[in-house]
Amino acid sequence: MIFREVEDRDLIAKARQGDVEAYNLLVSRWEKRIFNYLLRLVSNREDALDISQETFLKAYQNLRKLDDPARFSAWLFRIAHNEAFSLLRRRKPESELSEPRPRDFGGRMLPMELSLAVESALNVLSEDQREAVLLKVYQGFKFDEMAEILEIPVSTVKSRLYTALDLLKATLAPAVFRKDAGGAL
Amino acid sequence: MSCKLGDGRPDLKSYALGELDSRGRQDAENHVAACADCQDELGALRVTLDAMATLREEELPRRIAFVSDKVFEPRWYQKLFLRPSFAAAMVIAAAILVHAFVRPVSLPNATAQMDTRAIEARVAAEVTARVQKEMDLTVTVAVARAVASTEERAAQRTALLLSAADKRYSEDADFLNKQVTRIYALNTGAGVR
Repeated sequence: MIFREVEDRDLIAKARQGDVEAYNLLVSRWEKRIFNYLLRLVSNREDALDISQETFLKAYQNLRKLDDPARFSAWLFRIAHNEAFSLLRRRKPESELSEPRPRDFGGRMLPMELSLAVESALNVLSEDQREAVLLKVYQGFKFDEMAEILEIPVSTVKSRLYTALDLLKATLAPAVFRKDAGGAL
Repeated sequence: MSCKLGDGRPDLKSYALGELDSRGRQDAENHVAACADCQDELGALRVTLDAMATLREEELPRRIAFVSDKVFEPRWYQKLFLRPSFAAAMVIAAAILVHAFVRPVSLPNATAQMDTRAIEARVAAEVTARVQKEMDLTVTVAVARAVASTEERAAQRTALLLSAADKRYSEDADFLNKQVTRIYALNTGAGVR
């Protein structure tokens, strides 16, 4: 991780001087994480890809405003967050019409079914809660980094995340236990 | 949950998410080992997180890449400013210019006049001292030359006088010798014809 940060810093320095290839290398390192974060957040592959491109374009245009290159990941996710919520706000009316409900996978679940159950459970969360889970569980950010990305206090980060975990636990744990019980038969 | 610690129980979610420091982790583990309710709670959290880990990352439908675009490339002066040495030099130059413009340009008149008079007085004194010194030197040299010339002339005159006196003395002595010889010859009658 330290080596990666050092190399990222080098690439950022080169990209700041107009080296597009250095920036492309930087993009290739982060595009999968950004895309998956956005995909879980907006639940649409094309939207996630469009926002990913927009995120990296804005990052390139504003790279010289990045004060501390060591904070590049949090800064990049902050841009992605802004872009995603900009889209979510635009399409809010239509999404409000169809409230997602957790799917009942009752009985024994295959790994694929478990993944679908997780997806379904994530979609039940509010956008704020889901984003907290994505940043913590799937992207591995610390509470203080999440607070920086979301521009909220650490206490709010914990509150959103803990509520989301309680909801996920209530949905997933029984299903998993049923799966284990089914698997034991 | 009926943990006997109630609100004082360890933060099991932070523990499960790896946010506790070493002491917090130790406290949580010690408590969970002795509390059946918290064991259940932690077990359910771990099952939930394990289930979430089954959700795999997806590949991008297509790669994101940028081509060189002159619009976003820094201009030549921006590139110059991106060089630390040039930027530092420009900052120093700017600081000098700013200082030149904002520093108090007009000193108090009294001080300026006082300084001018002092400088003039020093210059005058220096000039006077130098002129005096030159004059002293010239006079000394002239006097020395005059003395030397006088002494030389006196020495020549003395030499001439001495020479004339010596000649005259020789002539007188020769005349006297001749007179003495003649008188002696007259008195003795010898050799005088």
